Amino acid sequence: MADQEAKLEHEIHAHEDEDPAVHATRRAVLQAAIGVGVAGTLLSTLYVGAGLVPKKVVTPENEPLAAGDILVYAQGDNKDKPISPADLKLGGPQTIAYPMNPKTNVVKGGDPNNTVLVVKLEPSRLSPATAKDAAGGIVAYSGVCKHLGCIVSNWEASTEDFVCPCHQGHYDPANGGKVVSGPPPKPIPQLPIKVENNQIIATAFFVAEPGKEV
Amino acid sequence: MYQWLDERLDLGRLNAKLFRKVFPVHHTFFLGEITLFSFIVLVLTGVFLTLNYEPSTQLVKVEGLTDPVQAAYASILYIDSLPFGAVIRSVHHWSAHIMIAAAFLHLLRILLSGAYKKPRELNWIIGILMLVVTIVVAFLGYALPYDNYAITATRIGHGIAESVPWVGVAVAQIMFGGDFPGSSHNIPRLYSLHVLWMPLVLMGLIGLHLLIMIKQKHTQPKYAEKVAPGKILGVPALPQQGLMSGVLFLVFVAVVFLIGGGFLAHPVEAYGPLSANTPNVKPDWYFLWIYGLLKIIPSSFEFTIPLFNGGKFGPEFWGGVVIPSILLVGAILIPFFSFTEGNVKQRYLELPSRHPRRTSLTIAGLMFLIMCTMAGYIGDPGMEWLTISRAWLLIIVVPIVTYFVSFWIMRAIWGETWQKEPEIELIVGGGQAPRA
Repeated sequence: MADQEAKLEHEIHAHEDEDPAVHATRRAVLQAAIGVGVAGTLLSTLYVGAGLVPKKVVTPENEPLAAGDILVYAQGDNKDKPISPADLKLGGPQTIAYPMNPKTNVVKGGDPNNTVLVVKLEPSRLSPATAKDAAGGIVAYSGVCKHLGCIVSNWEASTEDFVCPCHQGHYDPANGGKVVSGPPPKPIPQLPIKVENNQIIATAFFVAEPGKEV
Repeated sequence: MYQWLDERLDLGRLNAKLFRKVFPVHHTFFLGEITLFSFIVLVLTGVFLTLNYEPSTQLVKVEGLTDPVQAAYASILYIDSLPFGAVIRSVHHWSAHIMIAAAFLHLLRILLSGAYKKPRELNWIIGILMLVVTIVVAFLGYALPYDNYAITATRIGHGIAESVPWVGVAVAQIMFGGDFPGSSHNIPRLYSLHVLWMPLVLMGLIGLHLLIMIKQKHTQPKYAEKVAPGKILGVPALPQQGLMSGVLFLVFVAVVFLIGGGFLAHPVEAYGPLSANTPNVKPDWYFLWIYGLLKIIPSSFEFTIPLFNGGKFGPEFWGGVVIPSILLVGAILIPFFSFTEGNVKQRYLELPSRHPRRTSLTIAGLMFLIMCTMAGYIGDPGMEWLTISRAWLLIIVVPIVTYFVSFWIMRAIWGETWQKEPEIELIVGGGQAPRA
């Protein structure tokens, strides 16, 4: 056995001695073949790996907010019932709402980016730009913090600010959702609304893209 | 029976080669073992939990609740209703805390006693990787009960992952199975990573860590050099070391069940299922320092590299990713910055106070973490004095002052000889020192 191997090796070396150029070509071809094989395997793995990013499935519950949607309570005893403007307390705190498709009556609570904050303020306090999209003193904003995506569910009564409980980002609802203090990089976008039939109705999409700033 | 097995498996040789191997003894050497014990308890309690947990966010009706809740949440209520179910879940929770704490203390012991030096650089790096993986596993398990608190905490983690320029969104999508919350893939993805993949990685690293430790031999206390120069002073793995570890394991299990049973962790019913309200979340203690950094880094810390899509370097990236990564890389590089003379291999532990620079730096680093942690309490009742600018001041000044004060104290104690290792004098005649 060992003899045979030695013989074989001897032959190979003999061959190499005869014509090194042929051997070099063979080696290059083999290396290229291995390279192509490895690259092909890696690329096909990437293709399979792309399946790890889930497809976004659009259901009626997680469709984006659309003009004409009715704002309903997101929680509490009146969950899924339209918010009545008269029930909002002047000077807050905010009510957390989801949009409801007026045709199908499906509440679009499946996507957190559909979360809306509704609050009633003194109309004279609103800046002109904010007042344009408000209904009287009622203003609506995206409820998703621009910092890390928590729902901005706290309220600072003394300054009438939305406060995100996660990292204390303060937003001013009288002033286009401007960041008053804390780490958020951008204001939360306002939602243009009107009041009709004792319901709060979105008249357009948010003025900017809602959700955590990416 | 023994003979039958011995003839086939050569047990005698195994015993002589491995189980009679001598291990040095010191109380701080058990920190690593406690980490391992917590891991074992986590696996055992975790197996029980997986057998009863339902990784799904499908809405189900639960008796006693008016609104349907997610199946994951419902299955936690079910686990809590089983005999000792709540205790086992609580023990799983507490063991995770203990594992991270013990691993960190183990790391500090290695650092302060100089045990990371050549030839143990590899095990130092593996150790740090294990600490990171452990914290990642703990985080990935956080969302599984699917209560409002857990969801909010995980949501922040999702936000931090997304903040990495260019690749963050894809990484977050893969890790969390889409946007979190809101995708039906969230819980199955996190579940698989938490109970299967990351523990597998951890097991591999633990095996490697122990193998390298056995191969390189454990560092030993300084007196061993005097007692038995060039030899390892300690007790054999079996039976002595094994008995000690066995007893320690039983004590560990007893203590962790006492804690777990006495303080039931994470009461999901109190937090309730997913809702639109954000609870006032605080992360677990080992994340508090990152949380503090996120609170104090202003939103103006931001620039965008307009190359491809998503080259944004935002404040969450600086606080949540960059600063922790700098510390991590710094820690990994520690063995390569310590210059022991020549080609000497580190065999004995160093006295921390005889290495004032390293020790002071370690204490200063701890102060940095503590100050960042304190910044996590900004805005809490009773913490009104702590403004963002004061927190910055503390984070920068306190570690520096700590370094110099600690350095000065150690030098003052040792005087001119501060850089020398202490001479150890043996008390002769008072009984025979054990040799091995």
